[in-house]
Amino acid sequence: MLKLENIYKKLGNFALSGISMDIPEGEYYVLLGRSGSGKTQLLELIAGLNEPDSGEIWIDNEDITNKKIQKRKIGLVFQDYAIFPNMTVFGNIAYSLRCRKFDKKEIDKKVRLIADELNIAHLLDRFTHNLSGGELQRVALARTLVTSPKVLLLDEPLASIDASLKDDIKRTFRQLNRKGLTIVHVTHDYSEAISLASRVGVIHNGRIIQEGSPEEVFRKPVNKFVARYAGIRNFFRAKFVEEDGNWKACCDGNLAFNILPGSYPSEGLLIVRSDAVKIQCSEPAGDYKNCFKGIIKEIVPSEFGMELMIDAGEKFYVDISANEFKMQNLNELSDVWITFPPEAGIVLQGTG
Amino acid sequence: MVKYNPFNWILMILSSLVLLFILAPLAGMFLHTNGKEFLETVSDKEVQQSIWLTLWVSFAATFLFAFGSVPLAWLLARKKFPLKNIVQGIIDLPIVLPHTAAGLAVLGFISRDGFLGKAADLIGLTLINNPAGIALAMAFVSIPFLINSARDGFAAVPERLEKAALTLGASHTRVFFTISMPLAWRSIVTGFIMMFARGMSEFGAVVIVAYHPMIAPVLIYERFSSFGLKYARPASVLFIIVALAVFILLRLISVRRKEIHLLPDAEA
Repeated sequence: MLKLENIYKKLGNFALSGISMDIPEGEYYVLLGRSGSGKTQLLELIAGLNEPDSGEIWIDNEDITNKKIQKRKIGLVFQDYAIFPNMTVFGNIAYSLRCRKFDKKEIDKKVRLIADELNIAHLLDRFTHNLSGGELQRVALARTLVTSPKVLLLDEPLASIDASLKDDIKRTFRQLNRKGLTIVHVTHDYSEAISLASRVGVIHNGRIIQEGSPEEVFRKPVNKFVARYAGIRNFFRAKFVEEDGNWKACCDGNLAFNILPGSYPSEGLLIVRSDAVKIQCSEPAGDYKNCFKGIIKEIVPSEFGMELMIDAGEKFYVDISANEFKMQNLNELSDVWITFPPEAGIVLQGTG
Repeated sequence: MVKYNPFNWILMILSSLVLLFILAPLAGMFLHTNGKEFLETVSDKEVQQSIWLTLWVSFAATFLFAFGSVPLAWLLARKKFPLKNIVQGIIDLPIVLPHTAAGLAVLGFISRDGFLGKAADLIGLTLINNPAGIALAMAFVSIPFLINSARDGFAAVPERLEKAALTLGASHTRVFFTISMPLAWRSIVTGFIMMFARGMSEFGAVVIVAYHPMIAPVLIYERFSSFGLKYARPASVLFIIVALAVFILLRLISVRRKEIHLLPDAEA
């Protein structure tokens, strides 16, 4: 469907480099990266607003690298929607149809149809300056979808929308994708990737550093950068040693964690997902492979409930629900025991 | 609400002095013109023709040169090209030239020995002492006002709106006429009015290119130098009133358009 082959584009001091992607029809691909990582530039290359210095872009087995922007059949929704303020909502949606010389009746029919679909039919006669973020987003979507694009490119589509409206818009994206529309969505927010993507690519400094299903990317990040994106805060610099077939990660702070057997470098980074770490107020009974005593140093409210920072010789960040936090009667400087299974430890190949 | 602390008092006094400096001579001129003389001037055919000539020639010059100036302004706002700063400097040059020197430059260009003069001669047109020559002199000194204002207007139009239009299938020409121009319209009209007003008030460059037919500033000068202040004053008052009326009218037309809110481009 959409294929990028070894794209290179220099933009001042920054370059998109070695970008290759293969997105099959009907896929919801989320490109995740910080601001300045080259996400928007990549979308502009696909849309045809810029041309790559080298590499090729293909759609449906057709090389569109040098094809005119107007002929690409790619829809791009800009981060802040880029709604034309000199036109009504109707004028905005009809714009592309007028460019394509549709007759008046057909324009009217198509605009009303897409406006109905996106629940903005009541806004058609209004100018756009006092519409809400969610309404503007729908107008921008309608304006793009009315051209029946083969691929829909979304540039940070949820960045300027109130939290209360995000779920609505996400539902709309999912519905569009379920109808068979191929979507490439760029964002800096990993939660969008988790909730929407069928495949995720992580872009950093103009290169795609990891690609796969959300599960693969977030459970097995290739480096610290991706791990941070996955919300992982427990990083430990460690030496990996094997003793009688059992692998241990020996941290700089003298703690040693049991990890699953594997083929590991002699040293590197170990990550432990916060949600895999459990805490108890008393020493747990039973055979735990990783069990350490620590002191709660900091308690911060988080979206899951509470985030605790525990010093057990190494710093651990642990998420617990507000309910559990209340039940266990935890306070700063309380002694706690933390446990996690060997499979919660993931070894990163590099330390970067 | 201005708070009346000493600093604000000083600002107000200094500002008032500047305003007084502008208004006092004009008010003096109005007060020293008696009604009878003024009405005689209003019905004076020579004055009427002169003011009409000034208005239409300046308007025509502005209108015709807008066809080249507005696209140039868009280029300056949107494109990077070698020697762009020098091009911008050239555009501002007529503002800093002494206007008589500007008149001499235009004269050299449109006289029978000059490039444009020779070309006009081929179709039997003499530009010197002709409204066409006056228009060229007016345009020469006033064109930076239109270009600079339109350029600022285009620069304030977020580039992503033009990009969005392109992705929606619009040609570059269509984007220019449906997005860039309408959104920069207010600045273009302001520049148009400024160029028109500046052209209308030009004396130095025009008098070198064409003493006759007389535009209003030349007529006022001629009456002053031949008959004195008293005789020149009513024509000046009449010209100021007409110029102000036209200026206000054009401003009203331009502000009638709906206020459009533009968000600047987001940082990449």
